[in-house]
Amino acid sequence: MKKMMAMLLTGAMVLSLTACGNGSSGSTPAQSESKFGESEAAAEADKEESAPEKSSGPVTLNVTTTFAGEDTNAQNYQDAIAAWQDETGNKINDASGSSSETFKARVISDFEMGSEPDVLFYFNGVDSNPFVEAGKVVSIDEIRQTYPEYAANMKDGMMGASPVDGKNYSVPVNGYWEGLFVNKAVCEAAGVEIPTADTTWDEFMDICQKIKDAGYTPIAASFAEIPHYWFEFCIYNYLTPATHNILPESSDDEHGQAWISGIGDMKVLYEKGFLPENTLSATDGETFQLFIDGKAAFLIDGSWKVGGIEGATDDVDNFTVTYVPGKGERKSTDIIGGLSSGWYITKKAWDDPEKQKVCVEFISYMTSDEMVSNFASVSATALKNGTQVDESQLSSLAVAGLDMVAGATGMAGAVQDQVTQEARVPVFNGMPDIVTGKADIKESVEELLKLVAEGQQ
Amino acid sequence: MSSNIYKNKKPIIFFLVPAFAFLVIFLYYPFFQNILNSFKAINNLGSSAKGWNDPWYTNYVELCKDTNIRAALINTIKMIAATIIGQLGIAIVLALMVDNISKGQKFFRTVYFFPIVIAATALGLLFNLVFLYDKGMLNQLREIFGAAKLIDFKDNSHAMLTMMIPVTWQYVGFYFIILITGLNNISDELYEAATIDGASRLQRVRYISLPLLYNVICTCGVLAVTGALKVFDLPWIMFPKGMPSNSTWLTGTYMYYHAFESHNVDYSSAISVLIVVLGVITAKIVNAVFKEKDY
Repeated sequence: MKKMMAMLLTGAMVLSLTACGNGSSGSTPAQSESKFGESEAAAEADKEESAPEKSSGPVTLNVTTTFAGEDTNAQNYQDAIAAWQDETGNKINDASGSSSETFKARVISDFEMGSEPDVLFYFNGVDSNPFVEAGKVVSIDEIRQTYPEYAANMKDGMMGASPVDGKNYSVPVNGYWEGLFVNKAVCEAAGVEIPTADTTWDEFMDICQKIKDAGYTPIAASFAEIPHYWFEFCIYNYLTPATHNILPESSDDEHGQAWISGIGDMKVLYEKGFLPENTLSATDGETFQLFIDGKAAFLIDGSWKVGGIEGATDDVDNFTVTYVPGKGERKSTDIIGGLSSGWYITKKAWDDPEKQKVCVEFISYMTSDEMVSNFASVSATALKNGTQVDESQLSSLAVAGLDMVAGATGMAGAVQDQVTQEARVPVFNGMPDIVTGKADIKESVEELLKLVAEGQQ
Repeated sequence: MSSNIYKNKKPIIFFLVPAFAFLVIFLYYPFFQNILNSFKAINNLGSSAKGWNDPWYTNYVELCKDTNIRAALINTIKMIAATIIGQLGIAIVLALMVDNISKGQKFFRTVYFFPIVIAATALGLLFNLVFLYDKGMLNQLREIFGAAKLIDFKDNSHAMLTMMIPVTWQYVGFYFIILITGLNNISDELYEAATIDGASRLQRVRYISLPLLYNVICTCGVLAVTGALKVFDLPWIMFPKGMPSNSTWLTGTYMYYHAFESHNVDYSSAISVLIVVLGVITAKIVNAVFKEKDY
C-alpha cells in the first residue's frame, strides 16, 4: 500500500511538472498558432506567388516594442492598441519591454531561435544588424511592391536606413534631437548672455570662463559615465552635417583627425575646469542634479530630457534649450538628431498570408500623421506634413525645443550609433584616462576603429 | 512486506531526478557551454557565435594582459580581507557583547539583522546619498563642523573604502545571527563552573566561548570568503563601470560589464571561467585554513 502511495506521489509530481511545461507553452497560444500557420503559409506561398489574401477572420499579431515601463509613450501605445483591437477585432499579443541591454538580448535571441514577433518596434542602427543581415525583416521597398501606399506619409530620406545595406526596413515614429539646455538663473547670476544661434565656440569658452569665475560650474557632465553628447558635438565641430556620419577609416584621415581634435577639445574643457570637480567619479544623475539645483549652467542632452527637466523642477521657465555653439565649418544651427527606432515587419509574418495584410494595416495605423504627432510631441519625425502639436499645451522649454529644431540649418545623426558598445569602450569608457592625459587620444581612437573593423568582419 | 518499502530505494530516485535534471539543464549544461563560449566570437547576448576565435585561446591571452582584470583580482582580494576582518570580526565582537547582556538581546538581534532584509539596490542608493559629493550626508556634516572643501568620497583615493563600508555593513548581521545562535548552544553550566572557579568575563570568553564557537566561526569564514568572491549588486549600484577610472572593478562586476555593457560576451565567458577557477582554489584554501575541529 505504501509502495503504491509512493508511486502515486511520484506520478503526481511528474505529471505536475509536465503540466507546468505545457502551461508555459500554452500561455502563448498565438505563437504556436503562428508557427503552425507559417509552415502552411510557406507551402501555399510556394504554390502561388499571388497578391496577399484578405484575412478572413480576426488575426492575432505578436508585437514587441520598447513602449513599456517608464517610456513616455507607454500609455499612448496601450491606448492605441486597445483602440485598434476594438476597431478591427484583431488581437495583439503584446510582449513590449523597457529598452535595456536585456531587452535587446531577448529580441536578438528570439530572432535566432525563430520565435521572433510579427511586428517589432526596435532600433534601426547597429542594434538591428543581426536580424537585417539574416534577412529576417522585410524592406520597405519590398512591402511597397505589394502595398504602394505603405509609409507614404514619411520622408524616405529620414526613415533611418540600415547600416547593413543602406535600405529602409523600419517606419519611424518619433526621433530625437540634441541641444544645449541652459539654466537661465545661473547665466543671469554670472552676468552672461545665453548662447544663441550666432554664438561661436570661442565665445562659448569665454562664457564658460565667466561662469566659472562667478563660482558656478559651467557644464554639467559626467565624463566618467556619459561623455557621449560632448563627444558628438566636439567632433561635429570639425565636420559638417554631410560628413559627420562617416566613420573614420584610420586616425590619419580627415574624419580620424576630426575625432582626435574633437576629443582634444573635451580634454581642454576638463583642463580649464569647466566641468564639475567630480566629473570623473560622478554619475550622470548627480551632474544633472547640479544643473537642476542651479549650480551648473549648461547641459547637453536629448529631446527626452525635456520631460526629465519638467519633472525635476517646479520652475520649468527657468530652463531653455538652444544650439550647441559651433566651430569651423559647422554652424551652431547644425544640430544632431534623427530617428533611431521604427516599426519592422518580420519575414515570418510577411510570408504568412493570414498576417501580412494585418501587419501592414497595423503599422499604417501606428504611423499615421495623427498617431505620430501624438507620440512625437516635441521630438523629430519623418512626417512629410510635420507634426500637429498644440503649443499652448507645452511648457516654454518644450516650445524652445521645437523652435530650435525649426531653425536648424542642418541635421546629422549621432555617429556613435554606428559604433557598437564593445567598440566604444576605448574612447567612451576611457574618457577619464584621456582627459587626465593617462591615455593617448590618437591611440584610443585607433583602438576604437580597430574594434569597429573587427566587428564588421 | 510493508517494511520492505524502507529498504527499496528506487522510489527515492524518482524524487531526486527532477532536481538533478534541473541542475543539469540550468547549471552544468550552461557552465560547460560557457567554457566553449569563451573560445568563440560572440558579440551580442542571445546571438549565436560567429565562429571560433583565432587563435581559440585569444580571450585567455587577453585576460593575462588586461590591466582591469588585474585591478579586479586585487580588489576582490581586498574585499575578501575586508569581509573577514570587517564582517566576521565585527560580528564576533557584537555577538559576544550581546550574549553577555541579560536584557534586550532580542532587540539587538533584530537591529543588527535588519540590513540583511533590505534590497542591495536600495542600500546602494542609500549609501550613494551618504557619500554624495554635493549635498551628501557626510559632506553636509563636515560643513556643519567647519570644513570648507568638499571631499569626493568616490574619487580614486577613497573609492575602494567607500565601496567596502556598505558591503561590510550589510552582512555583519547575517554572521551575527549565526554566531549568537552558536553562543546560545553553549551550556550555561560551563560558564557557571568557570564563574565558581573565579574566571573573569574576559577569561570566560577566551577559554569557553571562543573555543566552543570555533566550528561556527569556521563555517562563517567559508561563507564570508565565498560571498566576497560573488559580491556584485552593491558595488555595481555605487560604482558602475569600474568608476572612477577603472579602479573599482571586482571580478563579478567586470564580468557583468563585458556581458551586458560592452557586448563582449565571449570575453565575459572567459572571465566567468576564471571566477570559477578562483572560487574553487579559494574554497580549498579557506577549507584548509578554517578546518573544523571535533570536540
